[in-house]
Amino acid sequence: MRTEPATRPRPAAPAAGRGPAPEAAPRRGLTRRNRPLWMLIPGGVLMLIVIVGPMILGIYMSMLDLDQYTLRRWVSSPFIGLGNYIESVVSSGLLRSVWLSVSYSLIAMLITLPLGVGAAVATQNAFRGRGIVRSVFLIPYVLPTFVVATVWRTMFQPEGVVDRTFNGLGMDPGLWLNGPNTYWTIIFVQIWASWPFIYLLALAGLQAVDHEVHEASALDGALWWKKLRYVVFPYLKGPLSLAFLIGMLHHINNFTLPFVLFGIPAPHDIEVLPMLTYVTSFQSFRFGLSAAMAVVSLILIAIPLFIYLRAVKLDDGESGGTK
Amino acid sequence: MRMRTPAALAAITAAAALALTACSGGSPEGGSTGGAVDGTGKTLNVLVNVNTLYPEQQKQWFTDMQAKFKEKTGAELKYETFTSANEELQRIQTSVVSGQGPDVYSLGTTFTPTAVATGAFVQLGDEEWKKVGGKDRFNPATLGISGPSEDRLYGVPYVSRPFVMAYNKDILAAAGIDKPATTWDGLLEQAKKTTDASKGQYGLAVAYKDNFDPWKFVWAMSVQAGNGIVDDGKAKIDDPAMKKAYETYFGWLTQDKVVNPASVGWSNSQALAEFAAGKAAFFPMTTSNSIPTLDKSPLAGKYEYAIMPVAAPGDSSPKSGAKPAASILSGDNIVVADYSPNKDLAFAYIEMVTSKDVQLNYQKTFGDLPANAEGLAALESAPHMGAITEAAEKSYATPFTGAWGDIQLGLLNVTVQSVPELAAGNVPDATLSQRLKDAQDKAQSSLDRAGTS
Repeated sequence: MRTEPATRPRPAAPAAGRGPAPEAAPRRGLTRRNRPLWMLIPGGVLMLIVIVGPMILGIYMSMLDLDQYTLRRWVSSPFIGLGNYIESVVSSGLLRSVWLSVSYSLIAMLITLPLGVGAAVATQNAFRGRGIVRSVFLIPYVLPTFVVATVWRTMFQPEGVVDRTFNGLGMDPGLWLNGPNTYWTIIFVQIWASWPFIYLLALAGLQAVDHEVHEASALDGALWWKKLRYVVFPYLKGPLSLAFLIGMLHHINNFTLPFVLFGIPAPHDIEVLPMLTYVTSFQSFRFGLSAAMAVVSLILIAIPLFIYLRAVKLDDGESGGTK
Repeated sequence: MRMRTPAALAAITAAAALALTACSGGSPEGGSTGGAVDGTGKTLNVLVNVNTLYPEQQKQWFTDMQAKFKEKTGAELKYETFTSANEELQRIQTSVVSGQGPDVYSLGTTFTPTAVATGAFVQLGDEEWKKVGGKDRFNPATLGISGPSEDRLYGVPYVSRPFVMAYNKDILAAAGIDKPATTWDGLLEQAKKTTDASKGQYGLAVAYKDNFDPWKFVWAMSVQAGNGIVDDGKAKIDDPAMKKAYETYFGWLTQDKVVNPASVGWSNSQALAEFAAGKAAFFPMTTSNSIPTLDKSPLAGKYEYAIMPVAAPGDSSPKSGAKPAASILSGDNIVVADYSPNKDLAFAYIEMVTSKDVQLNYQKTFGDLPANAEGLAALESAPHMGAITEAAEKSYATPFTGAWGDIQLGLLNVTVQSVPELAAGNVPDATLSQRLKDAQDKAQSSLDRAGTS
């Protein structure tokens, strides 16, 4: 076959200006060995103060029997070792909450991914009013979560808009803000609020596809699906992996949405992790137990996160644009 | 590159320095006691809850109080606000740990035990009471939740928000009812008479999904039946009186059908809206704060308040030996932080805001009742105030224990988890018993913690 030599075989090079690549020829004598690493000290110190310090404190707290009665002299509150951890795993419903959180986040994410990509592809080519459509797509993402949750809570009221719509179709779906449906309610609202994030990142990925690539594939006779599947999607792998990761973390940590939608105490079916931690900390005032829960959930979430990071190689700095 | 990094470094350093100074800034003024009420050059920091109903009036109120306080003591008065009990607790936490923060806190009554359990507030002895104008200046009922016992008091009563029952005079007259019942059974009969579901009119407007109402109903019914929920460190939630209370409260919806089925999703303000629209005969569990809303509604002039029933479900008169509780003791207390270097100023401030005139003024602006006894007496004849002042005097305190937050949550949780069954029209007996048992276990373990600490 006489193919045109592919000008850019890989979509990897983050060509668009991101400053000098580290491996580029040594400039002005800045070699790997002589880099002024000491300049990182302020950042490092800040990181110690802002991230590492509190984290160590949190781990220490999780081993104290710290509650409203011992708070005043918290440093001398009883040290109970792993007591809080045992309690959180055995009798606090923590594992169930983790499961609820992770599963709901995953379902929401799996539905938002094709939605976001579809929307990005649909608005990729210029057409009249594209600017408006693109702006409208961003509305759910721009609205504060509190507003989104309040509006949906109103619509999901018994005999509210949603109920009336279902009744109009001859169906009685039951309650949305209490009982088993709550799980699907939060998934739905989460999808509504977060798909534009996927859309944004997918759009950014699409922008990176060079015009020549489109031309080349067209010359090769690739039809839209083949083009999409073998030419465009590979470009999206990086941004979408990133979107998946950030989105999952965001969903799992989303406190405002369930809090505003369902209130405290949460219906049993939607007692997600942030709600449980919140209630333990600020309703029952078991600060030690709550810290233990936070640590346990951090570990539980860190394991798949780590595997995932290795798998998609987001942490090797190659894909650019990571945190 | 070379140029930029040092600049960024400088910026970070500057930012860090700023952040550090910001942390240490705002510390209390120097000089500890000084003269009794001569606070010249000092600043008193007061933390109060933000008033979302009357934000403008509250700002005005702050300005007025600042001027008055300056005139009285020469000191500056600085108000800070919080929006929820949790936010306030966080403030207390940080203040408690760091030993600095507001001098004076305003606390919701049911939150007072929790806050006092941190041990961060001044216990009031005779001398302190004298400084705030004497203990007998206050409506005796309001002192019920100032501390764990009569000789261990921490909170100075500030305002009362007793719960009462609003009723629609037209609907009652049409049904031939001359006055609201004083027993829960009697109220149910009247509610049945005034329910006409075909017209969308119901006897009671009840907010089953409110974050507070449900536990207040069952608390009142249970207390009236002689079960105070906490007895000598033992929780009594899995007790027949409590079960009967839940059955009655749920029964209005499932058996008696005297409430709108949609009320399983209502908060208190939605129930109020329903009542204000003239679609309910009675609206139990409201406060004087509903007056402005109702006066602006089509119901203006056609509603009145009564105290809620004081005889437990099944009883025809208040049980002897039980408390005829018309309402939880609701409102705000004021406490003084024990790390405060300005305690005398703090007491002078409390003296000022609990004086009769200031309290009456406050009532006129915000609707909250005076804790000041004379002020309360002066209101009895004001429009709508008869039943409300009566309820203020017949209010009873919820148990004063640091575990109360958990117990309250447990009671509320029974209703929250029962909402799906409520909507379906039947809460099975076994399910209810199991939920009560769960709440009992949690309450007991929380009480055990309170006991051992």
